[in-house]
Amino acid sequence: MPFGYHGRYLLIDASTGESDHIPLSETVLRQYIGGSGLGARILLDENGVGSHFDSRNDSRPHYRIADPLSPAAPLVFAFSPLVGSPLTTSAKFAVVSRSPLTERFNDSLASSGFAISGKRVGCDAIVIVGRAPMLSVLVIDDGNVRLQAADDLRGDTCQVTEEKLRARLGSDYRIASIGPAGERQVRYATISHDGRHAGRGGSGAVLGSKNVKAIAVRGTKRVEWAHPRELTELSRDLSKRSFGPATAKYRELGTATNLLTFNRFGTLPTRNFQSGTFDEAASLSPEQLSEAHARTRASCVACTIGCEHIYSLGDRGVRLEYESLFALGSLCGVGNGDAVLRASRRCDELGLDTISTGGTIAFAMECVERGLLDEPWLTFGSGDAVMQAIEVIGRREGVGQLLAEGSRRAADEIGRGSIAFAPQVKGLEIPGYEPRGLQTMALGFAVGARGADHNRSGAYDVDFSDKVDRRHATLDSVRHAIESEDRAALMDSLILCKFLRRVLEDFHGESASMLRAVTGWDVTPDELCETARRIVAAKRQFNLLAGWTPDEDTLPERFLSTPLPNDPEAALSRERLQELVAEYHRQRGW
Amino acid sequence: MKSEGGRTHLNGLTAHVIIRLRLVLALRAKHMYVEFLGIPRERAGLAELQVEAGTLGQLLGALAERCPALGELITDDRLHPSIAANLNGDAFVSDPATPLADDDRLLILSADAGG
Repeated sequence: MPFGYHGRYLLIDASTGESDHIPLSETVLRQYIGGSGLGARILLDENGVGSHFDSRNDSRPHYRIADPLSPAAPLVFAFSPLVGSPLTTSAKFAVVSRSPLTERFNDSLASSGFAISGKRVGCDAIVIVGRAPMLSVLVIDDGNVRLQAADDLRGDTCQVTEEKLRARLGSDYRIASIGPAGERQVRYATISHDGRHAGRGGSGAVLGSKNVKAIAVRGTKRVEWAHPRELTELSRDLSKRSFGPATAKYRELGTATNLLTFNRFGTLPTRNFQSGTFDEAASLSPEQLSEAHARTRASCVACTIGCEHIYSLGDRGVRLEYESLFALGSLCGVGNGDAVLRASRRCDELGLDTISTGGTIAFAMECVERGLLDEPWLTFGSGDAVMQAIEVIGRREGVGQLLAEGSRRAADEIGRGSIAFAPQVKGLEIPGYEPRGLQTMALGFAVGARGADHNRSGAYDVDFSDKVDRRHATLDSVRHAIESEDRAALMDSLILCKFLRRVLEDFHGESASMLRAVTGWDVTPDELCETARRIVAAKRQFNLLAGWTPDEDTLPERFLSTPLPNDPEAALSRERLQELVAEYHRQRGW
Repeated sequence: MKSEGGRTHLNGLTAHVIIRLRLVLALRAKHMYVEFLGIPRERAGLAELQVEAGTLGQLLGALAERCPALGELITDDRLHPSIAANLNGDAFVSDPATPLADDDRLLILSADAGG
């Protein structure tokens, strides 16, 4: 068994509570590392596509990717070799499955103690298939698995579920849970742990479809490090650098500070991407929110950055990120800071992805504005309407039944050309980056395996540099988009927080050193470049088997037919995007 | 001029002449505005400032003198890699020799603009 790993994953059938340890070869571990990469590999294997299919003489047919909400669909919680090490930000896990929102590959990441305790149950990943006969909690105690009835937790918020289960099972358990939205299989429901969420793509709906309200883990099985002294030195150095100017933004203001910057550049998605500037942006800025609400900071377990900025609201705090602020604020035309804080908190409680929630509500608001949807209360600028919409989505009541399906399915239902302004790629709602004004990012959105996403492509970094002209993408933009995607794939597999990205001056070299110290492998930067490409290719392989077609690598019609109203220079034609996508595929060798 | 994908580009000679003109004009100090966003605004303690400088490098030097709290973000005449500079909301600039013109607005912001 290699250092840093247990060399196996724990496969659990939620239908019966039975479990089995499946070996992971050193070759597979080295090729896919952990997190998103290892999750992708296991997902392919568990769908009968990969090497384990043959070795286990499984009778399931080849190349059949299960419906994401069916009992057969695997849900993977993947850890990494760095989890449990003293490296800052390494306490992270990836949740990997077929997305019920996009029907394509989905990996969403979250942080904190669940990663460490989950790995200590004695495996590198936990894979759940099947469907429990009743709402249940999956308890994994040092590798021993049991199902407990959880009907008393039905309807509880993520936070209440976690509190109740720790009181019931013991404070040394770490809990990942779904809220009411996951129970009702809202297609963009999250899995929550310790106030954080594996947010995008609907992994909470997948867990809900298995009748599993929560997973509780504790364990004692530690792994050994190949070169402990070297690892300690690397960790100390990385932590020291993580206090420097490269992470000051996250420590001092949080990601919410992006709002005014994006507004200044005319790239702040507003009123369902009908504008790139928002008149009331200043009232949503962290500076103004801090005047009305006390602000404290927090961090994930094993993190020295401390990016979480928590604003007081009533008797509890609200953790607020840029993505929630834009999606529930400017995107819905809401400039009332209190309303956005309340909406963000309610999404956290119900277990809803704030980006998809805000995107779908903003889409519905535009439909109402155009007379395509008869819900007159659902108007841009109304914080009360956003709150009401969140409630009905979480309960799947009234128009919430339609909106719980996400903007693409809602547009399919509403028809009359509304798909042209449904703010999604492959079904995943677009995060807070106006594609016409950030065109390297636009390409990243179009080709993303899980749809429009800022965590799998950080190409906006290139747009905010002198390497490209952000409003006039050229074929040279393609290599930047590929580099960004590869780098994200590697960070999500090691796993390290992306807020370290400017701390790691020699990203591949430093990553190789960390992996060497943990595993003992003679990893080189070149090998890691190849590994990143392999991981991106594995996600694509899954998508191909799930029915991906080239037409999916695009943006909604709105972005390809209309320049940004506030910035006519920011225009992206369909032909130009097609050229960029074709060049991307060519450079990928696809 | 030539057109590519519906957009117009200056030909080499025209671009060269414009660059030369801007360099010549840069020999005298200009009045311009600096806008701070994000961490630079936090450090500077203000949103905007008027400065005289002929080039980006001169401007950053002047800023370091006038706003000592920006110290760790400016080394000699360059910005720390975590900070970016943008001219008039259009092009991002990093070369200290970049000439500046009267009434230019230089935006100084955190380079990792994303979440």
